[in-house]
Amino acid sequence: MVNEAKTPIKVRYYRFKNHLKEKTVGLGLDPGVLIDIDPAALARAQAALEDMIEDYPDWVKTLLLKLSEEHRRAVDTPHERRLQFEKIRRIAHDMKGQGGTFNYPLITDFADSLYNFTGVTAGMTDSHIEIIKVHIDSMRVVINERLQGDGGQGGQALKIGLQQAIDKHTKVR
Amino acid sequence: MSGLDLERMSVLVVEDSPFIRSLLVNSLKILGVGKVTTRDHGGDAIEFLKLVKADPMKAGVMTVDIIISNWDMSPVDGMMLLRWVRRHKESPNRFAPFVMITGYSEPARVKEARDMGANEVVAKPFTINALAQKLMGIIVKPRQFVHTKDYFGPDRRRQNMPFEGKDRRILKDDSDGVEVIHG
Repeated sequence: MVNEAKTPIKVRYYRFKNHLKEKTVGLGLDPGVLIDIDPAALARAQAALEDMIEDYPDWVKTLLLKLSEEHRRAVDTPHERRLQFEKIRRIAHDMKGQGGTFNYPLITDFADSLYNFTGVTAGMTDSHIEIIKVHIDSMRVVINERLQGDGGQGGQALKIGLQQAIDKHTKVR
Repeated sequence: MSGLDLERMSVLVVEDSPFIRSLLVNSLKILGVGKVTTRDHGGDAIEFLKLVKADPMKAGVMTVDIIISNWDMSPVDGMMLLRWVRRHKESPNRFAPFVMITGYSEPARVKEARDMGANEVVAKPFTINALAQKLMGIIVKPRQFVHTKDYFGPDRRRQNMPFEGKDRRILKDDSDGVEVIHG
């Protein structure tokens, strides 16, 4: 009799009983029944989100104050700009993740641009510092004037203005 | 149609932004989740999960059914938390469903989270509907877990897409080197 060497296990599949389904749907449900989240609860959650949108501008204002403070430090202490850039970038990352959720996609766009302008390879000249300031100013206008959605004509003008400022200061560099 | 009753569910939310954290907690509560616990970053979450395992009464929850975590946090981010949940010997449940929320929506970053074993990745800005659908998927259509030398986590092949040529991708249950564990 030939002894066959046992094949080593290369992959394990784990298949468990669906305890979460048992917890949320119960046992004995007809397999053909469509399961879904209660549409009324979804609508209520959506309404709550819309309520929170009203508080969102105040929250952003506190972040804009922090950004302005870090920008001021970057102006005053050029040798520490890398540190300030990291702080600005972190705040910008937070903001870009929130804006769209609260119907302020312009905040997401501007914060995304600011995030990209403060990366590890970003320039740290005075022109670059000015570009950062224009981003902060643009976001302040978005919040002060409650430019939700695409912001209409005002929003589009801000976008163009920001791009022109970026172009101008990029050429200076 | 049957509605999900989430009252017996326990969800851990790990998010450093107070505003987004508050949004997530409110949304989950309104969707009917019975118990929502929050932590500010991955390190706090790990300590909490250890406490749930060691002393659930003290932790205030008997179990954590789903973890929803932001990616970018300090000092311990969402990826480090996910790695700990999936791979650390002290992890109370290496199979715990894990939803990663991230501002990094680039495909490479999404793949990075999936390769670490995230069940779902939700890109910011997210909608209530998107979050609800991800939870639905985890509850109603959970995927088997796969353990290879390079990967441990939910099966990353969600769909059986048609393709031409010989099927070299899919190991069968009775293939050499395959073990199936039921539980």
